[in-house]
Amino acid sequence: MTGFAAYLVFFLIVALTYSIVVMGLNIQWGYTGLFNAGVVGFFAIGAYGTAILVGPDRTHLIGGFGLPFPLAVLGGMALCALAALIVGLATLRLREEYLAIATFGIAISIQLVALNFESLTGGAQGLVGLPRPLFGLFDSPASYNLFYLGVVAVMAGLVYWALETAVRSPWGRLLKAVREDETAARSLGRNPARVRLEVFVLGCVLMGLAGGLYVGFIGYVSPLDFLPILTFQIWAMLIVGGSGNNRGAIVGAVGVWALWAMSGLAISRLLPVAYQSQGGAIQVILIGLLIVLTLIFRPRGLIGEAESVSKHAD
Amino acid sequence: MKSLIVSGLMGAGLILSGAGTAQAQDCEIAVGSVLSITGSMAAIGSAIGDAGKLAIDHFNEAGGVNGCEVNFILRDDQGSPNVGVDAAKTLVEIEKVPVLLGAIQSGVSLPILTSVTVPAKVTQISCCSSAPSFTELAKEGGTQGYWFRTLPTDRPQAAVLATIAAEKGYKKIAVIHVNSDYGVSLATRFKEDAEKLGIEVTGVTPYNQEQASYRAEVNAALQAEPDALFLVAFPADGATVAREWISFGGSQNLILSNALRADEFVESVGAQYLENAYGIDNAQVEGESVEAFNTSWKDAKGSDPNGPGLHVMYDAAAVALLAMEQAGEADGTAIRDNIRKVTGGEGEAIYPGVEGFKKAKTLIAEGKPIRYVGATGPITFDENGDVTGPYLIYGVKDGELATLDRWDKARVDAALEKLQ
Repeated sequence: MTGFAAYLVFFLIVALTYSIVVMGLNIQWGYTGLFNAGVVGFFAIGAYGTAILVGPDRTHLIGGFGLPFPLAVLGGMALCALAALIVGLATLRLREEYLAIATFGIAISIQLVALNFESLTGGAQGLVGLPRPLFGLFDSPASYNLFYLGVVAVMAGLVYWALETAVRSPWGRLLKAVREDETAARSLGRNPARVRLEVFVLGCVLMGLAGGLYVGFIGYVSPLDFLPILTFQIWAMLIVGGSGNNRGAIVGAVGVWALWAMSGLAISRLLPVAYQSQGGAIQVILIGLLIVLTLIFRPRGLIGEAESVSKHAD
Repeated sequence: MKSLIVSGLMGAGLILSGAGTAQAQDCEIAVGSVLSITGSMAAIGSAIGDAGKLAIDHFNEAGGVNGCEVNFILRDDQGSPNVGVDAAKTLVEIEKVPVLLGAIQSGVSLPILTSVTVPAKVTQISCCSSAPSFTELAKEGGTQGYWFRTLPTDRPQAAVLATIAAEKGYKKIAVIHVNSDYGVSLATRFKEDAEKLGIEVTGVTPYNQEQASYRAEVNAALQAEPDALFLVAFPADGATVAREWISFGGSQNLILSNALRADEFVESVGAQYLENAYGIDNAQVEGESVEAFNTSWKDAKGSDPNGPGLHVMYDAAAVALLAMEQAGEADGTAIRDNIRKVTGGEGEAIYPGVEGFKKAKTLIAEGKPIRYVGATGPITFDENGDVTGPYLIYGVKDGELATLDRWDKARVDAALEKLQ
């Protein structure tokens, strides 16, 4: 398997990994209205947590526990839950834009910790030579990628199913109640602060899961992977796909990542060789333009939030 | 592909018969490159791409590789690993490139190497990624030999600087470095080497880029009253650090990293404060082969090739193309196995430029050995894909940057030997 099919598999692995992050953000923003602008920070904690637990022992590093991959990912997620709990307790009393600023700052701090805590994270060098799960069992990289796509797709499917079940439960309706009118929710005897914390931790754990899957696929992690731009990419995916809808989150992740990645391919094909060094700038303009156009023509995203009307309303 | 060797011979034959503009190409070979055209490295990325393109234009003018026209496909990584990895994957799977040039930042090159080029058996040659993690990975067998880089690593630089510091009799040295893979690794190496030579390193202080003041870092480094400072920085931030260091009464015995060899740095610190300073740089500024590159760059662009990464990128592309010509086929593994046959060794010297590549093609067709002496001078790759080269020691004389000393390869090797 080579050519476009091999690339497509590769592309989908990355896009579906991001779709898990986007679903994590969707439960926070789309359903509960928590403006988390620090997505990349929790993605980073999951990635580093996994990398440290799965990595080989090295003399100059604290980590390197050589754990099996699934355990390492669970460890990364647990670390994410802990971090989200601490961040959530400290910041969730903040409203919208204040929460955004606080979480944005926290994500930058997390990236700086990764850059500076050399004996744990490898600092600017990153962590190299991380084993890719079950890599030895496959005879070619292409068949391995197909296997890994299966793993990521199953994980994304599980997350989708679990979230769909959750948001249709009484707990899910409570999320929307908190988003729409916190005072009303409280007057009905609910505890919005607790709900917000639960959702924040849940969303961040999903981001951590995606971070772990990313590490398993790339086999390397460095602070450069966690620049703030990734937070905006994830947000673009959610808004374009349609916030408040888990299918929208997946469609947005695949669609926006396709735009981001494949516009480069299209440009390098269409642009005369002499202008190739301008191609990068054209690509960035094109990405911005297409996102803006989507929002003008589909302001609620490609698949917006479904109307939720009580079945007793008629 | 089977007739490549034959057509290569024919191409060489055309040149021999005096048809200098051999353009008889009915096939194409794609060479891919992933560089930062936008993003944090955008200021240097586009010119580096032009340097790669220049090498490919020269080769095409000389008759192409094995009679095929080389098509240069440049992709932008936006300074992000995820975008760079995706671009590399399309180049490898869809454009079918046998060799990938890039990326600039180590944090982009490494994930490309581990998740794209090594699994696909494509040779990757970087102009600019300096992190020692590549050497570490190569030693573990993680690169399977598909990784090369044309810029010298920090290992010899640190050794030479520490050796000179010991000769000058410095006893206590503070280190301030930019917090990037480049800064961290050079500072760590230097500390190790200096301590082996009996110099006390009083502290290693990292700084984060693009801040208005570095007073805190400078004060921390000054605490132990060192008699010299090793500064690993880029010119703008480096000037800020050096000014604050000197104004707070720090020693003027400065040791400077290669990136500080810039007029901008000397002007904004003040030449009178830098008379006791010395630094190191790759000795890529002189020599016939370097002139050949500089002239052809000037012909093509109308300006001097001043900027980081230009010489090394030209060499990365040239080495790839020569190896392809030598191999007779455009295949990643064949390129990997032939790179050392066209560099180092005892063959006839080949310089950059159309004439040089024509000569190389003729010699390869005759089965004679060649040795590429590039835009950065002679190139030899070690078993990890790293190069060591000659160095120069620079300083400031009469208010201007000047070359104080030269270290050829033998002298560098001797210094390294001593520190083993």
